[in-house]
Amino acid sequence: MPSARVVEFVALLREHGFTLGVQEQQAMLSVAVQLGVTRERSVAAAWRAIACQRRREWRLWPELYEGFWHPQRVRGTVKVSGQTRPRRDLRQAVSDLHAQMATAASPASAAQSHASADAPATSASQEPGLARAQGGASAVEALHNREGQMWWPQELGELQQLARRIHARLRPRPTRRWQPAQPGDRLDLRRTLRRSVALGGEPLGAAWQVRRTERPRLFILVDVSRSMESHAAFCLRVARAFAREAGARVFVFHTRLAEVTALMHRDSARVQEKINAVTAGFGGGTRIAACLQAFLHSDARAQLQGASRVWVCSDGFDTDAPDDLREALQALRRRGARLTWFHPTRGAPVATAFTQARACLEACLPLAGLADLRAAQFRLQ
Amino acid sequence: MEVRDAPEQALRESLARAGYLADPELATTVWLAESLQRPLLIEGDAGVGKTALAQALAKALGAKLVRLQCFEGLDLAQAAYEWNYGRQLMAIRLQEGQGRVQETDVFRREYLLERPLLQAISQDGPCVLLIDEVDRADEAFEAFLLEVLAEYQITVPELGSIRARHIPRVILTSNGTRELSDALRRRCLYHWLDYPTLAREIAIVRAAIPEADSRLVEDSVQWVQRLRREDLSKTPGIAECLDWVRALHRLHPQALPEDMGVLLGTLGCLLKTREDRFLIDAERMRRLGEAPRDQGVAASTKAATC
Repeated sequence: MPSARVVEFVALLREHGFTLGVQEQQAMLSVAVQLGVTRERSVAAAWRAIACQRRREWRLWPELYEGFWHPQRVRGTVKVSGQTRPRRDLRQAVSDLHAQMATAASPASAAQSHASADAPATSASQEPGLARAQGGASAVEALHNREGQMWWPQELGELQQLARRIHARLRPRPTRRWQPAQPGDRLDLRRTLRRSVALGGEPLGAAWQVRRTERPRLFILVDVSRSMESHAAFCLRVARAFAREAGARVFVFHTRLAEVTALMHRDSARVQEKINAVTAGFGGGTRIAACLQAFLHSDARAQLQGASRVWVCSDGFDTDAPDDLREALQALRRRGARLTWFHPTRGAPVATAFTQARACLEACLPLAGLADLRAAQFRLQ
Repeated sequence: MEVRDAPEQALRESLARAGYLADPELATTVWLAESLQRPLLIEGDAGVGKTALAQALAKALGAKLVRLQCFEGLDLAQAAYEWNYGRQLMAIRLQEGQGRVQETDVFRREYLLERPLLQAISQDGPCVLLIDEVDRADEAFEAFLLEVLAEYQITVPELGSIRARHIPRVILTSNGTRELSDALRRRCLYHWLDYPTLAREIAIVRAAIPEADSRLVEDSVQWVQRLRREDLSKTPGIAECLDWVRALHRLHPQALPEDMGVLLGTLGCLLKTREDRFLIDAERMRRLGEAPRDQGVAASTKAATC
């Protein structure tokens, strides 16, 4: 296993949001040397322990590892191994994938594949009609259409300010705990007496405490399905502002759910591409209910608590059964979450699933531009 | 081909002798933590065996287990050290008669009360330091932990840095109720501990309750695994499963009882909240019991755990 391959693998992991420094890279190499490449299972387990730092990465690992080191075993996902470095570029991989999907879905594709078997495969992605994915988040379209991502510095500043202001307005929740504070509301008798021991038993320095408050945890789920193609960029920009200003956890979904919080904290112009890469391989359509259930049962399972805020940015078009969305939202409410739905249209969505589930929502607000967010700040408390 | 006498395999067998059936990946991670002298952060739902791993590791290595149970408001004085003010005052009073008392007379190691962290790095022999449920401690406490986890030392302003004589094996556990800081995570190796597979859980239950009938163990564990797929607010862990099988073993040593009333009566071992108890009624229990039973689990159990 040449070290260059390991370095490439580490680069791939970094592209997917793993935080890996030189120290981790060296540790991975030294483990490979120590254990020997023939004991691959052990090496992979050791690398996983070194490279992963959180559950999101832990869950992503098998796909990335298999894709890189055993591309022949991977079916139906992005193959990232057996190619030179430039071709392992995520943007390229995503474009290739969507081009393949478009070609496969085209009625004439079967005939063309025979006819052009010897010709270089360049035409599919160059034809305007074929450059679209067949359902799901289309990386190709999003990358070509940059309008929604063009922001003036003053707009970005305003968005950050709005996020800060809205976060400040989220009412802190008093907990049952008290914490040390000087000065405080209540005398901390235990600490005062403990402190007096150092002074020969004279309680000269009183210790005080205040009631501890916590701001509600914020979770933002952005629909990046095809029907949200033109709005997702804006929603993600908003989500990014809240991730930075309010420590929000951000997820994207269409048929599956993926957390992108780590990407939101990066100052990179390629965040959109990376998000597209994370969501690549998803099928067509939108499964809002299934994604909300996944969010409830795995991703935010331990962190959802009373007064947690869950914001869903979606147009409400769901391919799950209409009742499923209501049940998913009810399950979230049972865990104490307060739900707000942001829709990109002026009026509320009219999809059956959404109208049935609307009673579970605390608020249903439009979000198509900064003006909407400005107006929404008074409703988000 | 895997080498049988590989160090992680040997560790896995030691853990098994101590009563903990670790999968190969977990054993490799624990071995790696020792090899690289890095702390190991284990995350997972409550009841999947995070704390038990540290206990079993201490037992397997014949090491002393030092446990720091984290909670909100945990501070330095409770976690690392505290000056023994009473003894210091007494020493001052005693020395007053003999002449001038110097600061160095009372700020000595012997006047230091060792709390778990200091206790762990002061050990002369092997030691396993378990920092349990670190997510319950305040964020400020995490910052203090960084020095201990990275350098294996504690700085006492009056004495200087106290370095570990024998690097302890550090295991941190977290239920994920809050996000830990990146700084803490970067200093640790990471392992996500999930609920065990059916075969592994059967093996665990068999190892813990060898006297229970094989059919009873298989049926009950399958039932618990199906129960975990339900929308429960508190999913039963391995400990709950063991409690339940023990209870059933005392009632009906052969197999799962047909009578739903008996099962409902023992559900308190598995379901720990009122909502969950209401959710799993007799009808739901019957449906869980009617799901197709996996045949031949017992036969594959041994293979799965080897």
